[in-house]
Amino acid sequence: MNYSFEGFKREDGTAGTRNYVAIVSSVICSSAVVREISEKVSGAIPIVHANGCAQLGNDFTLTRNMLVGVSSNPNIHSALLVGLGCETNQVSGLLKHAPKTKPIKGIGIQQLAGGTNTIQKGISIAETWAKEATEQERTILSLSSLTVGILNVDADEDSLEKIGPIIGSVIDRLIENNAKVIMGLSKTLEPAGHLLSERMIDATEKEKAIRFSMGLQRMRWGNPALVDEDTEFTEEETKLAMLELKMTGTSTINSVLDYGEIPKENGLHMINVSSNVVESLSKMASSGCNIVLIVSNRGVLTGSIALPCLTITPKNEMSSYNELIDYTLKGSNIQEESERIIEELLKVCSGKQTQLEMLELGEFSIPHLGTTY
Amino acid sequence: MKTFKGYRRANGSIGVRNHIIVINTVGELAGLTKKLANLVPGVIPVVHQAGQSQYPEDSAQTIKTLAGTAGHANVSAALFLGMGSNDPADEIVETLKKDGHHVHSILFDKDKSIIECLDEGRTWLENALEQSKKQKTEKADVSELIIGLECGGSDAWSGITANPSIGVFSDSIVADGGTSILAETTEAVGAEHILANRAVNSEVADRFLEIVRRYEQRAKAVGENIKAANPSPGNKTGGLTTLEEKSLGCIKKGGNSTLMEVIDYAYSPTKKGFVFMDTPGYDVESVVGLVAGGAQIVLFSTGKGSPTGSPIAPVIKIGTNPKLYKNMPEHIDVNAGKIIDQNYTIDQIGEEIYSKVMQVANGEVTASEKYNNQEFSIWRLAETQ
Repeated sequence: MNYSFEGFKREDGTAGTRNYVAIVSSVICSSAVVREISEKVSGAIPIVHANGCAQLGNDFTLTRNMLVGVSSNPNIHSALLVGLGCETNQVSGLLKHAPKTKPIKGIGIQQLAGGTNTIQKGISIAETWAKEATEQERTILSLSSLTVGILNVDADEDSLEKIGPIIGSVIDRLIENNAKVIMGLSKTLEPAGHLLSERMIDATEKEKAIRFSMGLQRMRWGNPALVDEDTEFTEEETKLAMLELKMTGTSTINSVLDYGEIPKENGLHMINVSSNVVESLSKMASSGCNIVLIVSNRGVLTGSIALPCLTITPKNEMSSYNELIDYTLKGSNIQEESERIIEELLKVCSGKQTQLEMLELGEFSIPHLGTTY
Repeated sequence: MKTFKGYRRANGSIGVRNHIIVINTVGELAGLTKKLANLVPGVIPVVHQAGQSQYPEDSAQTIKTLAGTAGHANVSAALFLGMGSNDPADEIVETLKKDGHHVHSILFDKDKSIIECLDEGRTWLENALEQSKKQKTEKADVSELIIGLECGGSDAWSGITANPSIGVFSDSIVADGGTSILAETTEAVGAEHILANRAVNSEVADRFLEIVRRYEQRAKAVGENIKAANPSPGNKTGGLTTLEEKSLGCIKKGGNSTLMEVIDYAYSPTKKGFVFMDTPGYDVESVVGLVAGGAQIVLFSTGKGSPTGSPIAPVIKIGTNPKLYKNMPEHIDVNAGKIIDQNYTIDQIGEEIYSKVMQVANGEVTASEKYNNQEFSIWRLAETQ
């Protein structure tokens, strides 16, 4: 079957499934101004977060990369970066790393002598872009311009058995059709790290997957010592990981993405995610995904502000909020089900609103890799 | 005797505001929290992205901060939104109720639809708002006030004008029996000996030196130099050259009073007088800790001009230089720059700050309140699991 969707073609070969003007705060101090601007301009979305100052090293780099990444996202028609002025995460620094293929500007509260001026200036810039965005039409595009994120939230053994092979087949088909897929690598997949490494060609990437299989090192700063968790997986954890592994399909895995890294090649990539849904979706948005398939029994109570999040549930019992679920498995035929999911996915890519979009539930957040100073 | 009119709470504390808030326990509920607040005009959403898959030290810090915020004297009633089986909302609410606070929790779970949860929340908030409007203020002594001392976007004038003026105020309110909390451990680095020498006893001095040492160690443990983030780019263009210089200016906010106690992030002082709270130099997170610890008002000096506030406490902005006041008067409540160009003395500005504090305690709206600056973020101690 020849898949296509209707999206917003971008200069760099990618395509948006949405066409937002992003108002991006460089630091929490400009978040109120950012919210105000985006409320006043239709088609604008606020990208606000709690970071941007008093940060060091990797922790700071992650914040900067994620903000550059989300501004680069193909769903973003144009991006207005709003800073305070005295923060660590300077707007000038963001602009230096920002893509040159779309309208991007930076303004600052201190430079413009206060919030009121900044809001006015911001609205006037964003309105011009929003008008351009409204005039842009969707065109028929192939899947090669699409990046799909896959996030497993809470599937248990029973639902993994059902849905694992189906999502695996969805991924394989997307890849056969030259799409990019970014699969969330959460703690629950850790016991399968070795098997994932066998599907990698690049030696450095293999190494990353093997390290992952020993349990992710996560940092703690309450007591000034790094915690190196010695992970021994239980039989149950290993069993679940093997089931979740099926969800990743059978394609070659090209890379394990670093924080805020946007994959260059098409094909399957992995990205580390935490069990914080908002952080995970935000990482995917910053790595170029323009839609995410969320696999969840319960349904999640927020999506990403920048991306449509299509929620698929293996079983629709009392446990799921109907108003959060876009697709419930109808049968167990892998081919049929994956075909239906792709069909639904492409509808959403072409503009159909997801349940979370209809409820206007979307957030953005940046994790910390270090404490603030 | 200085007095103000405030809102007396069941636990005996006195608020300078009478807010109704809705607050999420986990980041996933931030969107619904804002949605619910929008349904009832006048209700303030207190939202954050913490509280999910955290290590114990972060869970504890999140719960402490949320409980401190909801149980704050400036809060008339608080509604918690939580989800899942291990959510702390019910427990926090139970604890706060025992202290007489008007609080309630709603857990999003399989038994109720989202619409039902939002309806329940709206009804509760509307009732709480009605009740709060009936509450009368009563006269209270200044000794019941806890004032947080903060700075953000410092420049070379901070340590010369605004901070010493805040110091004068701090000494005055302490002399009047009140409490002031200095914070930002990072900005004590290089000046810790001065505060340690003012400690009431060696135990407090040691505790203070210990938290400063721990802060430096945290940075070293991840291979970083604390001095790379502080002073910030804006501090440097403002004329500050080193962290030590910034610190020496920063601690002037604490005046010359005896250091009575050192408390952890978001903990309430157990002593009256001048105390220190262990917070990061990141101003928003520091203010959140100070307020969760009970500060009804925060003084915030700024040289570059920072608009940030708090969802529940009035934050009074003290500008350090005349140029700032001329450029962004909308974000400044007290112009300490008058020391530079209008021959005011530090003592005079200190007095002006004190009268501003009393006016604000009586209900005068600050710049950050006027512009809805309700930034809220909890200091994180570990990566998300």
